[in-house]
Amino acid sequence: MFDLLISGAGLIASPLVIILVALGCTGGLLVGALPGLGPLMGIILLLPAAFYLPPVAGMGMLIAIYVGGSCGGAISAILLRIPGTPLAAATLLDGYPMAKAGRAGDAIGVAIAASAIGGMFGGIILILFAPMLAQIAVNFGPPEYFALAVTGLMSIAVVSSESTVKGLMTGCLGILIAAVGTDTMSNAMRFTFDNHNLFGGIHIVAVVVGLFALSEAAFQIEEGKLDARPDVLNVKVSFRSLFLTLRHRWNLLRSSTIGTFFGALPGASGIIASFTAYAIAKAQARPEENYGKGAVGGVVATESANNACCGGALIPTLALAIPGDAACAVLMGALLLLGLQPGPQLFTFSGDIVGGVFLAYLLANVFLFVLGILLTPVFVSVLKLRKQYLVPSVLLLSMIGVYAIQSSVYDLWFAFIFGIVGYVLRKFDYPLSPIVIGIILGPIAEGNLRRSLLLSQDGLSIFAERPIALTILAIDLLVILWVLLPRRVKGRLVPSRAG
Amino acid sequence: MKPFNHLKSAVIAGAALAALSMPASAEYPERNIQNIFPWGPGSAMAVTQIISEAMAQELGVNITVVSTPGAAGVKSFETALDKPADGYTFIDGWVAPLVLQPLVGNADWTHEDFVPLWSATAVPFAIVSRKDETRWSDFPSLIAYMKEHPGELRYSSGSIGNIPHMVMAKVMQANDVYARNIPYPQDGDAFKDLRGGLLDFTFNNPTTYRSNSDAFQVLAIMTENEADREMFDGAPLVGDFGTDMGLTGLSPTGWHWYVVKPGTPDDVVETLRTAMKAALDRDDIQEKLKATGFVPTMYSPDQYDEIVGTVGEQLISAKEAIAWEADKIAGK
Repeated sequence: MFDLLISGAGLIASPLVIILVALGCTGGLLVGALPGLGPLMGIILLLPAAFYLPPVAGMGMLIAIYVGGSCGGAISAILLRIPGTPLAAATLLDGYPMAKAGRAGDAIGVAIAASAIGGMFGGIILILFAPMLAQIAVNFGPPEYFALAVTGLMSIAVVSSESTVKGLMTGCLGILIAAVGTDTMSNAMRFTFDNHNLFGGIHIVAVVVGLFALSEAAFQIEEGKLDARPDVLNVKVSFRSLFLTLRHRWNLLRSSTIGTFFGALPGASGIIASFTAYAIAKAQARPEENYGKGAVGGVVATESANNACCGGALIPTLALAIPGDAACAVLMGALLLLGLQPGPQLFTFSGDIVGGVFLAYLLANVFLFVLGILLTPVFVSVLKLRKQYLVPSVLLLSMIGVYAIQSSVYDLWFAFIFGIVGYVLRKFDYPLSPIVIGIILGPIAEGNLRRSLLLSQDGLSIFAERPIALTILAIDLLVILWVLLPRRVKGRLVPSRAG
Repeated sequence: MKPFNHLKSAVIAGAALAALSMPASAEYPERNIQNIFPWGPGSAMAVTQIISEAMAQELGVNITVVSTPGAAGVKSFETALDKPADGYTFIDGWVAPLVLQPLVGNADWTHEDFVPLWSATAVPFAIVSRKDETRWSDFPSLIAYMKEHPGELRYSSGSIGNIPHMVMAKVMQANDVYARNIPYPQDGDAFKDLRGGLLDFTFNNPTTYRSNSDAFQVLAIMTENEADREMFDGAPLVGDFGTDMGLTGLSPTGWHWYVVKPGTPDDVVETLRTAMKAALDRDDIQEKLKATGFVPTMYSPDQYDEIVGTVGEQLISAKEAIAWEADKIAGK
């Protein structure tokens, strides 16, 4: 493996590659931060330009957009309570309360540092264990995906612990929203009412922008003081956030591992990784850490997990030619167009290119950290805008982002409708994040349950025949039983920390 | 008059002057063009981006590829049909929404309802199993195994009712064997589960096969085109084993033909055709397309009715093979 890196070092050590990786990273941060756009859109837009570049320069630029874009969503989540990408939906749970408490600079710095470290972790795992992990991913079939999706859905209870029932209700709403569209198992139409705009389902970006951006705009307007000058302290460039992040080293390590693991499973996404990492971090935390009210650990967990996912997702993409997520599908197309065949042969016949791509990925994470920290004061200065300028600007950018996905006016209508839904739900203290979890995990759970049953020669027995699926489901069942146990019984089984 | 009003008057006067100085009928294209693409991101999208980028260079405007997946491509056609017939929108007309979905009653158009530009590329398919498979070693022994174990095997054509499904069902029907098709949201997931042992065989395309030739064994290429052997390391065609699929030419392959909405002005269609032809004629574009496993087909607009019409007729019998497979699975 080190041979690959040494031969790749020659390809990456050129001003063109370094400049393109830096530009890609900056561009990624921007498309990530703008609500509606995201790393996928950024990569698609710049793909044609990559065709005319040397392979490592072209791939380096696209991978840097992927890395920057996966982190950029946290910036708007923290500053505006609007996740720039669905990936950052979990980050606002603690990032926004930090900003409200006057710690926006710290929150963004921690998000960037955790993303860069998580991304590095995913990259190192990619470099050291790609073929081995790809082989493990191969053994995860529909029964295992179903079991993992059930585990992910259980995280709703943790994410909305103040109002579990309300959280489960909005989670169910998310699952229902995801049921709209063409059923991939049978090609039947569900809840489409013969309207072709619903054939592909409701786009998650339209839902997220509506739920979070439009409802937040309504709340800001309702709050008034639109022309008041916000009282925001100046933020200076500081690497203090790195130390803040490293104080949570076990959380960082655990969340990065979770992110890499979910990234390596094709079809699982950074969103599941960040919510799962958050749920575990919160469950492990001491009460005084105040998760949900501005805990640094919450931002560390979600951001390290979703950026570690990038390294993880590149594992099946490069080692098996099976894209880890939609952005990796475009990256795989770019590899083919640059004359490279992803898969095991890539490591054998184009080792120098693989080494160069690995190093470009690591370099992108270094740039993410340095550029992100340097730009933090610029990002925070957005909060200095008066609401009368900030709110319409954010709304305009959000709507451009939503429209750009499919050039569809209907997506704007969906965003508007979900804006109203989000406003009403927030008014009655229903958490919104479970909707995102439901939208992502509902189809994974449903599709893989049905697929498992089709694969099985004997109904549900397929889950008993697969040790990994059986173990995960057994743990899920035990956790549910534990939650359902009366408190006095739990007290007898496990004495409380307070004694 | 306030300074602001002076400024407003000047802007209005300038705009009016600019409008008067423009030619009565500006030359097409004046602005960006949209290519409505029916699938999500992946190698097919990269292919349409290559062609669009080359066409854009000919036309001097940007061409944006808009991915609108849904309902096996029907959503993309519906989306394009909602736009004006002015040449600023064209459709990357994949066979599924152009021919197949109307055949199965999911769309109310035929290929004749669109105006063709040039054909783009085609992708041949093959049946593959794991390289370390011990239950069979080639296509005839797979068929023999399926005869001994009717309905037991699990395979995947990616989605249900797509071209690979029709072709595989047709091949199985021709040999009087059947298996259960497992649909997946992404083809790559099916290939992963083949490697993992959950599936017994799958369809495959040159791109994925080349990437996994250490893991997959090609049992038969499902076309009659001798040139396709090269894409799968010299593997046998299904016809070599005496199987007559009844599908010729483009029918058993995945292919796409760029089309525009009817009513698009003739001169605009001609401009688009000229740009597409020039793009496809470029050696570097041909090389890039082949590198992705997509073979440029280069059929002219004049050949559209004949070629696509034939595909439509042949796919009717392939569609019946899917119904036959469903009956067999249901034990009818």
